[in-house]
Amino acid sequence: MFAILYSCKKEEGCTDPVATNFNSDAEIDDGSCNYPAEGCTDSTASNYNPYAILSTNTCEYIGCTDSTADNYNIYAIYDDGSCEFSTTPYIIETPFGFPNMIIPDNNPTTIEGVLLGEKLFHDKILSGDESQSCSSCHQKELGFSDGNRFSAGIDGIIGSRNASTLTNSGWNTSFNWDGSVSSLEEQAFEPVVNPIEMHNTWANVETKLNANGEYLQLFKEAFNINYIDSNHVVMAIAQFERTLVSANSKFDRYIEGNEQLSASELSGYAIFNSEKGDCFHCHGTQLFMDNDFHNNGLDHEPFLDIGLASITNNPADNGKFKTPTLRNIEHTAPYMHDGRFSTLEEVVAHYNSGGIYSSTIDPNMKKVGIGLQLTEQEKADLIAYLKTLTDSDFLEKK
Amino acid sequence: MKKLLLLSITIAITFFACKKEEGCTDPVATNFNSNAEIDDGSCEYTPISTNLTINFTHTVDATNFILGAVGTLPYTNNAGQPYNVKRLWYIISDITLHAEDGTSNLIKDIHFIDASEVSTLSFITNDLEDNNYTSISYTMGLNPTKNISNAYVNEDFHSKMFWPEFIGGGYHYMKLEGNFNDSITFYNTHTGPTNGEDYSFIHTDIITLVTTETTSEAIISINMEINNWYQNPNSITISNNGIMENMPIQMQMKQNGSDVFSTLIN
Ligand code: HEC
Ligand code: HEC
Repeated sequence: MFAILYSCKKEEGCTDPVATNFNSDAEIDDGSCNYPAEGCTDSTASNYNPYAILSTNTCEYIGCTDSTADNYNIYAIYDDGSCEFSTTPYIIETPFGFPNMIIPDNNPTTIEGVLLGEKLFHDKILSGDESQSCSSCHQKELGFSDGNRFSAGIDGIIGSRNASTLTNSGWNTSFNWDGSVSSLEEQAFEPVVNPIEMHNTWANVETKLNANGEYLQLFKEAFNINYIDSNHVVMAIAQFERTLVSANSKFDRYIEGNEQLSASELSGYAIFNSEKGDCFHCHGTQLFMDNDFHNNGLDHEPFLDIGLASITNNPADNGKFKTPTLRNIEHTAPYMHDGRFSTLEEVVAHYNSGGIYSSTIDPNMKKVGIGLQLTEQEKADLIAYLKTLTDSDFLEKK
Repeated sequence: MKKLLLLSITIAITFFACKKEEGCTDPVATNFNSNAEIDDGSCEYTPISTNLTINFTHTVDATNFILGAVGTLPYTNNAGQPYNVKRLWYIISDITLHAEDGTSNLIKDIHFIDASEVSTLSFITNDLEDNNYTSISYTMGLNPTKNISNAYVNEDFHSKMFWPEFIGGGYHYMKLEGNFNDSITFYNTHTGPTNGEDYSFIHTDIITLVTTETTSEAIISINMEINNWYQNPNSITISNNGIMENMPIQMQMKQNGSDVFSTLIN
C-alpha cells in the first residue's frame, strides 16, 4: 500500500540543471527555476549559458591549442584536433641545362615536408629491428650510394644489385636499375618491406610513428594530418630526395667560365664528347644520363640478371639497364648494376675493350670486338675528366 | 458552264504540276528545302574544320621497312654492303604548307620521330585553314636558328638527340644505326651540326591539296627512302667509325638527302 503510494508520488521542483535551484530529485518541473543573471554569454563557447544576461569571464573554449598553427585559438583549453598548418614552398632551382624536375601535383615540395623527409630518411625506426635507415645504404658522402658491391639488409641477407646513387634522382623518369618503378614516392614503399633490405611491415611503421609525439607533430605541420599513414611517409621521403641536387662540380664551374680544367681533364672531356670515347650518346646532357636503358656490353648471354626485360617481358630488353648519372662518380664505387667494377680504371678498361658482344648490345657500342684503342694517357685523361664531375658541396653539405 | 469548270480545274492541275519548286536540295546544307526539287545553287553549309594528319613512313628500295631483327641483314646499300636498321631517330622541323595565293601555313615547328614508337609516326593538326595548297616544305633536322644547345631541355628528344658542345653543340638531325656486313659490326650514321656547320636542308614537294569548307580530313605522308642516304650523288660506305666529326661526309649526306624524302597526298 505504502509502496504504491510512493511510486505514485512524483517529486516536483526545478528540473533544469543550469538553474540555481536545480533539484536533481525533481521529476516534474513546476516552473520554479531561477536562473543566474551572470554566466558565459558567448554562443561559441563550450559552456555557453543561453539564459545568462550578464557576461562573466568564465567562458571556456575548445579549438586548436597549438601556438604554431594557423588557427591557434589563445582561449582554447581543450584541443579538438582542428589545428591547421600552412606550409612554405621549398623552391628547387633548375640548374643550367637541366629539364624541369618531375614533381607530382599532389606532392609539392615544402620546407616542412623536406625536413620531415630528411629525418625519416636517416631514421632507423623504418626498419624491422630499428638497425637500418635509408641512409645506411645511401650515404651522402658516397653520393648517396654505399661502398659495398651488394648491400646487406637488416637480416644480413645480401642483395644482387649495387645501391644506386640518389644524385639528381628528381630528374629520373624511372627508378631502380631495371626501371621497375616510375616515381620516387612509389620507390620508397619498397625498401621498407623488402626482406633483403629493411624487412619491416608498413602497419608496424605506422604504429610506431603514430606513437611518437614528435612525428605526429611534424606530419601535422607538413601535411595537416592527425594520423600518419604510409602514403605520407613516402611523400615526405620523396620530397627530401628531390632536394638532392648536384650541379656545382668543377666541370660546371668550367662551363660557367669560373674555373679552368687541367690539360689532362680537357683531353678527357674531348674523348668523352667525341666519337673517340663516345660516352655522350648515353651519358650526355647536363644530367650525364639519358633516362633510357642500354646494354653496354658487360656480359655474354644468357644473362644472370636480365634487367629491363624482367619488367617488360620483352627479350629484346635482355641485359639492358638504366644509364646512371656520372655526376659524383668518383665517390659512388663500386660500379655497374652489380657493382662488378671497384674502380674507374676498371670501368674505363671495360669500355676501352669495346665490351662483350650479345644480341641486345647497344649499336652505340660500335667498337665491340675492336675496342676504343685509347692510350694509357688517354685512359687516365678520361678518368681525370670523370673526377671533375665531383660536387664537394653536395657531398659535404650540412 | 460545266465545261468551263472542267477546263479551269485542268488548267489548275497542269499549272501546279508544272511548277517545280527551286531551292537547296542538299540535305546536309543548313538551308535544305525539302520541298525544293530543283537545286538553285543556294545551299549554305556550316564550315567543317579540316583535320590534317601527317604520317611518317620509311622504305628501303621502295619496299616496306622493318626495324632490324638480330642476325639478319635484309638490306643492301649502293656500295654492296648488307645492313639492317636497329635505331632510326630523326627530327623534321618547320613543316609548312604553301598555298596558291602566296600564303604559307606552319603546320608543326619540330617533330621527333622514333621509328620504334608508333606514337611518333604521325601527328594530327586540327582546323587546317581552307586553301588551295600547292606545295609542302620541311627541314631535315634543325636549322641554325633552332639548333641551339639546351634549347629543348623539356622535350623528349633532348637527351636522345643531344649533340656535344665540344663538336658544335645543339642536336643530332638523325641517328640511323644497325649492323652491317655481319651481325657483330655496327655502323652509326649520325648527322648533325659538326663544328657548328649547318648541314640541315629544306625539302620541298609540289602537291595538290585543296581543302574547302566541306573537307573534314586530309592526309599527307612523308616518306624517307633510307638507301638514298647512301647514294646519288655520293656513294657512301658505312663503317664502324663514327661520322659526327667528319665534315666531308656530313656534306655528302646532305647532298644525298635531296631525293631521300617524298610526299604523298592520300
Ligand atoms: C639494404 C640497403 C638499402 C636500403 C636500406 C635502402 N636502399 Fe635504396 N637502394 C638499394 C639498392 C641495392 C638499390 C638498387 C635496387 C635495384 O635496382 O634493384 C636501391 C635503389 C634506390 C633508389 C633508386 C634510385 C634510382 O635512381 O634508380 C632509390 C630512390 C632508393 N633506393 C631510395 C631508398 C629509400 C628512400 C630508402 C629508405 C626507405 C632506401 N632506399 C633504403 C639499397 C638500399
Ligand atoms: C650504349 C650506352 C652507353 C655508352 C656508350 C656508355 N655507357 Fe656508361 N653506362 C651505360 C649503362 C646502361 C650503364 C649501367 C650498366 C649496368 O649497370 O649494367 C653504364 C654505367 C657506367 C658507369 C658506372 C656507373 C655507376 O654508377 O655504376 C660508368 C662510370 C660509365 N658507364 C662510364 C662510361 C664512360 C666513361 C663511357 C665512354 C667510354 C660510357 N660509360 C659509355 C651506358 C653507356
